[in-house]
Amino acid sequence: MLELKKLDSGYDFLQVLWDVSLTVEDGEFIALIGPNGSGKSTTLRTIAGLIKPMSGDILFNGESIKNKPPHIISRMGISYVSEALNLFTDMSVQENLMLGAYAVKEKETQLNTLDYIYELFPRLKERKDQLAGTMSGGERKMLAIARGMMSNPTLMLVDEPSLGLQPNLTYDVFAALLKLVKQGVTILLVEQNVNATLDITDRAYILEQGKIVMSGLSRDMKANEHVRNAYLGI
Amino acid sequence: MNSTATYEEKGTAWGKFVSFLNKIGFSPLGFFLLIILALLPNFYPFSEEYIVRWLIMGAFLAAQAVAFDFTAGYINIVNFGFAALLGLGAYTSGIFANTTPFLLFAPGLNPWLTIWLGAIMAGLVGFVLGILTLRLRGIFAAVMAWFVGIALMGLVNNLTELTRGPLGMNPVKFIETPNNLPYFYIILAMMVMIYVVLKLVVGSNIGLAFKAIGQNPDAARASGINPTKYLVFNFTLSAFFAGLLGGFYAHFFGSLTPSTLMHTSKTVEVLAIAYIGGRGSLWGGVTIAFPFVFFIEFLRSNLSSLPGLHLVIYGVLMVTIMIYYPAGFSGFYFWTVAKVKTLIKKNK
Amino acid sequence: MTNETSAAPMTTVNFMTWVKDNLPVVVVSVFSIILFVLVGLKGGAPQVFNVLVTGGMWALLATGLALVFGVMNIPHFAHGESFMVGAYVAYFTFTPINKFFLTTGSKFLIYSGPILAIIAAGLAGCVLGIIIERIIFAPLRHRTKEGWVMNAFLLTVGLSFILVNGTTLTLGPNFRGIPRYFDVPSLEFMGAFIAVDRIVATVIALITIGSLWFFLRQTKTGRAIRAVSQDETGAQLVGIDLDFIQTLTFSLATGTAAISGASLLFMFQAYPTVGLTPLYFAWYVVMLVGLGNVAGAIVGGFIVALLQSATQLFIGLSWQSVVPTVVMILVLILAPSGIFGSEVKGVQEQ
Repeated sequence: MLELKKLDSGYDFLQVLWDVSLTVEDGEFIALIGPNGSGKSTTLRTIAGLIKPMSGDILFNGESIKNKPPHIISRMGISYVSEALNLFTDMSVQENLMLGAYAVKEKETQLNTLDYIYELFPRLKERKDQLAGTMSGGERKMLAIARGMMSNPTLMLVDEPSLGLQPNLTYDVFAALLKLVKQGVTILLVEQNVNATLDITDRAYILEQGKIVMSGLSRDMKANEHVRNAYLGI
Repeated sequence: MNSTATYEEKGTAWGKFVSFLNKIGFSPLGFFLLIILALLPNFYPFSEEYIVRWLIMGAFLAAQAVAFDFTAGYINIVNFGFAALLGLGAYTSGIFANTTPFLLFAPGLNPWLTIWLGAIMAGLVGFVLGILTLRLRGIFAAVMAWFVGIALMGLVNNLTELTRGPLGMNPVKFIETPNNLPYFYIILAMMVMIYVVLKLVVGSNIGLAFKAIGQNPDAARASGINPTKYLVFNFTLSAFFAGLLGGFYAHFFGSLTPSTLMHTSKTVEVLAIAYIGGRGSLWGGVTIAFPFVFFIEFLRSNLSSLPGLHLVIYGVLMVTIMIYYPAGFSGFYFWTVAKVKTLIKKNK
Repeated sequence: MTNETSAAPMTTVNFMTWVKDNLPVVVVSVFSIILFVLVGLKGGAPQVFNVLVTGGMWALLATGLALVFGVMNIPHFAHGESFMVGAYVAYFTFTPINKFFLTTGSKFLIYSGPILAIIAAGLAGCVLGIIIERIIFAPLRHRTKEGWVMNAFLLTVGLSFILVNGTTLTLGPNFRGIPRYFDVPSLEFMGAFIAVDRIVATVIALITIGSLWFFLRQTKTGRAIRAVSQDETGAQLVGIDLDFIQTLTFSLATGTAAISGASLLFMFQAYPTVGLTPLYFAWYVVMLVGLGNVAGAIVGGFIVALLQSATQLFIGLSWQSVVPTVVMILVLILAPSGIFGSEVKGVQEQ
């Protein structure tokens, strides 16, 4: 479904990613883990089209998307839930969600997805008329993920959903992601919470200093010496 | 070409001369061009009265561009009230030199003295403007200067006992002569003086502080530069010279109206020259001003059926340069010099 | 605040803190009310109506300015030229139509002339906006975003220069005007006679602002425009085409400014520099309420018109531009981000 081929990327003169290759198959739940500043967010931003890659290629369902603008990539079915959330703070929760379905043509589909989202996140339904900017950190995170789902994406790139969340909320978020995967959505997840991430994902890539240093099945990773030392603190 | 040779000749008379020139802001080439410019009106066809007049207008515009770039190119604030400050200097000087009893105030002082009064007046307002814009940045500072300019122009329009308002006043001339040549040397001297003084300022530590403030006021403050002092100083000095040039305008053209002098569009003309010439160089505007005035006056005299064509060309050039080549002419010059130098090195 | 007031009567302490928190708004509101009463007493109904006409137009112009700043971060200096273009298009549409209808003679058709002229101006403005955005701002935006606000501002300055002088070049500096749109007697209103043109202009301003407001609040595309002004990246991520939204916004702003130029043709006439005064006043409005604040711009339009009327009544016509300018300088000193303290991105940037 998604394939990065020898991707180099970064900001202006500062190259962050070096020769990154990874593949995500249909329906997989993939984790991308690594220390701070290793380029995980840059990878997602590059796929989403917010950063233009320096070289290499990005294939989505066999088609190169490396030179496509972000809104086209989004309309092709890739939804990026950024770390900064990028919510529309002066709009209500419902307006934010409806904008998430901006590219969806049929009104009926939009409303069906909205109902489903409200079922999944009842808290958002309670707050549907509240301004996004006035919500708590956890609620905003929920809203960002929910907004990302509104376009019925086939691939979701989720950046640090647990950052700054209480453990029980983190659990909710992960549960929601798992539910999505069960419905056939493919997810590429960037996470700091390595232990929990390796528990729920199928496969994982480890990114260190802008390079992929390791990849494999998540449960194998959990047993790996390097991962245990560096990320699990065991 | 000369400059490459001089580095090896330090200590010789020529080398000392060149380093002196550099100190006051001239390259040998620039100085050479200046001398040619000064001698130009003595040779046909440049000795024709109308061409001397063009040269005067060129020098006037060039000097304005220098004073404007001192603020825009260094502390990165566009003084949108520049023309109004210039007009303030012109009116102040005109009023103090006034001998007509029709106006409220007719001290009849010597214009050579009153131009300095005009400069001081404009400098004072520049000082106030500097203080007003202190808390503001970028667009807000520009808008503030713009509003102050509009207010000044409105004031001049309304103080009819002093200025005759929109009817305009006719200040006395510097010298009663049918000849334009003396005026050319006056404005040339003013231009060189303004350039050298401002170049000395920006060449000192103050110039570094200006650039630091222009790029990032917060970082400048954090590294111990007091933006207040430098901003106010910059505005005051720039306004002072604008006022001085206004004095020249008053006593050269002998006619002042608020709308031909203080209007925002006059600021835009100077801004266009300064930007096309290249921001933050001071001399870029000077090199552009002369050919520009010649080109425009040529168009105006030959295509008098097309009023405003020259201004359209101004605008188009300015917009094109800002989109595609923001470094302007001075940027182009430095780029060329660098290219030539690397070529020479390669051949050695 | 609404919750507190409904739950329990507001105590004085409560009220005082509220006043303190919103001091600029309170001061301006009180000041405006006093001015309004004074203007009403001295000038009567015609002056009050004058405030409504000019206020509506400043509000319409300022809305466009606020929109362009909010969505594209462009401090638009050439907004007055959109007004100018509108005035010219209306003149060149209205004059022949009117002449034709006067000879053919149907009353109804004569009255449709002004409306056609104003619609034509609005459409021409929209097209002009698209052209300008595509040839001037889009290339700069794609080249660099560094120092964007200032560079964009200077670009609009150059643009204004080109449009004003280009008009002089092609149409000459002379005035082109009409005595009135509707050749009917003035209406009597509370003892004063008010020209139908003024009433129509006010109604058009209110309708245009109303439709713009509805468009921004209630339609999908309007929501997308607001989304871009709140978070550009977020907007791209949900699939909004930034280029399209920005061109649309600029086109809307230019179109509405052209409508105001067209509907005020009988007051301002059409000449190359006609846009300057409206530009000043529209800028006063956005500076007063905060750059990029669309809702505030509507209120601000009327406040500035009131200030203008009061100056004219109590100080003198020729001070009409000086006094508001001085007031705006004070506003810039005391509340640089406007009385509503808008927190639009880019406000304090270079």
